Amino acid sequence: MTRQELIDQRMAGEAREAQLRLHTRRHFIRESAMGLGALAIGYMIGGCGNNSLPATTAVAFDPAHPLLPKSPPFAGKARSVIYLHMAGAPSQLELFDYKPELMKMDGQDCPPSLMEGKQFAFIRGVPKMLGPQAKFSRHGQSGSWVSENLPHFSTVVDEVSFLKAVTTDQFNHAPAQLLMHTGSPRLGRPSIGSWVTYGLGTDNQNLPGFVVLTSGGSFPDAGKSVWGSGFLPSVYQGVQCRSEGDPVLFINDPDGMSRNVRRASVDAINAANMQEYKEYNDPEILSRISQYEMAFRMQITAPEVMNINDEPSYIHEMYGTKPGEACFANNVLLARKLVEKGVRFVQLFDWGWDAHGDNASNSLNIGMINKYRSIDKPVTALLLDLKQRGLLEETLVVWGGEFGRTPMMENRNGAQNPFKGRDHHTDAFTIWMAGGGIKKGITYGETDEIGYYAIKGKVEAYDIQATILNQLGFNHETFTYPFQGRPFRLTDVAGKVINEIIA
Amino acid sequence: MTILSITEFVGHLHPMLVHFPIGILLMASIFRLVATIGKSPSLQPAVPVMIFWGMLAAIVSCISGLLLSQGADYDQALITRHRWLGIGTAVISIALYITYKRRLNPKLTAWISALLVVLVATTGHLGGSLTHGEDYLSASFGNVVDTGPALPPIPQVQEAHVYNDIVQPLLEARCYNCHGTNKQKGKLRLDQPGLILKGGEDGKIISDSNPDESEMIKRLMLPIDAKKHMPPKERAQLTPEELAFLHWWVTNGAPFDSKVNQLAMTSGIQPVLAALQSGTTAGPVINDDLPAVPVEPAPSEIVNRLKKAGVMIVPVAQNSNYLSANFVTASSTTDSIISLLESLKGQLVWLKLDGARLSDSAFRLIGRDTLLRRLQLSNTTLTDQSIIHLRSLKNLRSLNIVNTRVTYSGIQVLRELKHLRHLYLYQTEISNADWPALLRAFPDVALDSGNYSLPMLPGDTTVIRLP
Repeated sequence: MTRQELIDQRMAGEAREAQLRLHTRRHFIRESAMGLGALAIGYMIGGCGNNSLPATTAVAFDPAHPLLPKSPPFAGKARSVIYLHMAGAPSQLELFDYKPELMKMDGQDCPPSLMEGKQFAFIRGVPKMLGPQAKFSRHGQSGSWVSENLPHFSTVVDEVSFLKAVTTDQFNHAPAQLLMHTGSPRLGRPSIGSWVTYGLGTDNQNLPGFVVLTSGGSFPDAGKSVWGSGFLPSVYQGVQCRSEGDPVLFINDPDGMSRNVRRASVDAINAANMQEYKEYNDPEILSRISQYEMAFRMQITAPEVMNINDEPSYIHEMYGTKPGEACFANNVLLARKLVEKGVRFVQLFDWGWDAHGDNASNSLNIGMINKYRSIDKPVTALLLDLKQRGLLEETLVVWGGEFGRTPMMENRNGAQNPFKGRDHHTDAFTIWMAGGGIKKGITYGETDEIGYYAIKGKVEAYDIQATILNQLGFNHETFTYPFQGRPFRLTDVAGKVINEIIA
Repeated sequence: MTILSITEFVGHLHPMLVHFPIGILLMASIFRLVATIGKSPSLQPAVPVMIFWGMLAAIVSCISGLLLSQGADYDQALITRHRWLGIGTAVISIALYITYKRRLNPKLTAWISALLVVLVATTGHLGGSLTHGEDYLSASFGNVVDTGPALPPIPQVQEAHVYNDIVQPLLEARCYNCHGTNKQKGKLRLDQPGLILKGGEDGKIISDSNPDESEMIKRLMLPIDAKKHMPPKERAQLTPEELAFLHWWVTNGAPFDSKVNQLAMTSGIQPVLAALQSGTTAGPVINDDLPAVPVEPAPSEIVNRLKKAGVMIVPVAQNSNYLSANFVTASSTTDSIISLLESLKGQLVWLKLDGARLSDSAFRLIGRDTLLRRLQLSNTTLTDQSIIHLRSLKNLRSLNIVNTRVTYSGIQVLRELKHLRHLYLYQTEISNADWPALLRAFPDVALDSGNYSLPMLPGDTTVIRLP
């Protein structure tokens, strides 16, 4: 570069800077006018393809009676849902996805091709492959593969549709659970149970429409947001109940308070709320009034419906309940009772499925065996009990976790774990559905020889949500709620109904 | 894959090339106008240059257009007009150039220039109609020809002629636009039986009695985003019922002179025919739990009285007047409440009376709701005497009488219910010895005896611990 060129360059730079300095906010705003005008015109003429705007499902929201039953857009097969979520993510490779080829690789170093460009929660360096830690056989007329870990469940596989190639894009529990239940890995969206009760209401006005039951000693990692109502009216959030002690905390009137006094106090609160409503016109206040009324009615009905102790002993034996414990079996029995009484959506979370193998209680050969046993009988009993009561036809049962587990043995931070375990895996896991108009004895989707990638019939959380809504009579693409200036839906901008498993 | 010859290639450039004469000649006319009348004489020198290039572009467009019209199948009347107007445009643009060059009478120039503008606009519009369809421009004003139902309701669908009454009107509404007298895209015409059988440029479109091998059905069934899907994405589509009907028609050998009732009936086609009869072709056919024919809304005062009594009663779907009722929280199930259901017998299809205290006469009242498809009478006082009243529920698909006093002999009346598919008999008085006979008596019904139990396995109670 000659000296002259250098000077020219500097001069040009200085000139540019000087010009930029003159470019004030006023300029910016004036120059934006054209763009803003264009935006406005676009808005006014409705954008291109105005005629193709999708129709939206009309949901009549009555703030004074937010939970009264409503009609779905089309007549669905299912009328209620029981969603069994195994929080922590169970291993598909020890339950449903039989991979004999993986056994041959047991103990070998993981081929680098599986690790390239991948990120795992805990695996570092080169992990060892881990063969299936269970024996598998085919069951029922459908010949579905189930491992020896679920001896009871393997007798009812002909009622079930397996989705063998579910995938997710979240490898941590909380975001993955949020994605599964709210359609977004981030906080703030309504959960599927909220969407459903918003769209359909519930048949029993003396009970919540969306009940949540937890077991396993801990909440799911995503916390209560996973049954939150997001931007939907708060009346649609899940109501957490208990299968042990009082079904709802503080449901009984305190000593010395008679039912009349309770009535009078509810009336007084409602009158004050009504005054508030007249002043501010906030529909949430009407919802609150209706909630007080429901709580008052629930004080009578809930203890009765939610008391599993009055079930006959052979039902308790069938479910394998444990009196006085907050366990999965008790929750499953309670779920059946609730659905029988017209509750729309029952969500169960069972914590403790995170089979890493860094201690005995989460190892595949000790802790997980106990987990399998704790759900095998109750889940099987639930399907049979719903069936014999004629409820399975119209109750959709979903079982699954938030992601799957790796075919590799976990080596936490590069060191061998003390027990056999698997890391979080997003590329393939199994979820099953039954009842509510789902095909019986179907296996849809396939993973590769070692269960690493989904290769056929791949589905994701959105597809499962779309299918659940479809079975209840909703088109997931038009079932929207306006928020922050745009319509939102459970399945965001994705989701395809899995027609292959619909009867 | 065919390789385009050079003439075809030039022909294919026509849709792109035509924009040049349109743009340049129009602009030249505007410049001329502004330069002559307006205050910008500086534009004057540009005008002849633009006319020259516009003329050249018009000539090239003409040549390429002539080449294109050789190969493709367009509406002949339309293409003739477009061709001559196009040639006219080229000729007039030459004339304009000459008048300019020779500096002839400016008035003459003005007239020729105006004529050229009209020609360019008309030719361009005709060209647009050729590629996008004649209703392309008018569609944006809302008068699209082919929306709205393709078929009117067909009152006597069983007696209707398969082709004349259903297939032909359907093809006319959805296909003739491009495969009729005006246009024959893909050299296919669908407006006469002989031409349908003849097929298009790729051969036959109907394979004998095999819809899955028939090009017509295959293309109709492709996903809407598929390139070969018919009708094109932006056109009105066939409903699932109409598609199902065509599928069935081809399965039956695509006859042109049969009546509907002369073709083989399948269980799948029945609801489709019912939908064609009622004219409710829109909306998804979901299940057998609902009648296909629409009804009037139920009397609202009756519905409101039931609601007041705590009965959850709603239409089964937003676009339906059929009702579903659930008595789970009803404050009363006296005969006077149950008798209200009789006024809803034209609409009530699903009824849940689980655990309701019902008198014998209540069951008689329920027996009058003859449209019922799903009925839940579990945990009620139903007995062998009262179950007799249910024999009139001819449409029943699913009946739940779990935990009632009904016995084997009582249940025999249900054999008259020809549509019954599910019968739930858990905790009834039917003994195990009766089951073999029961299964023979109800060959088409899924009977559920319930009483399931799970064996106690050693693993159910033991907890594994660290050794």
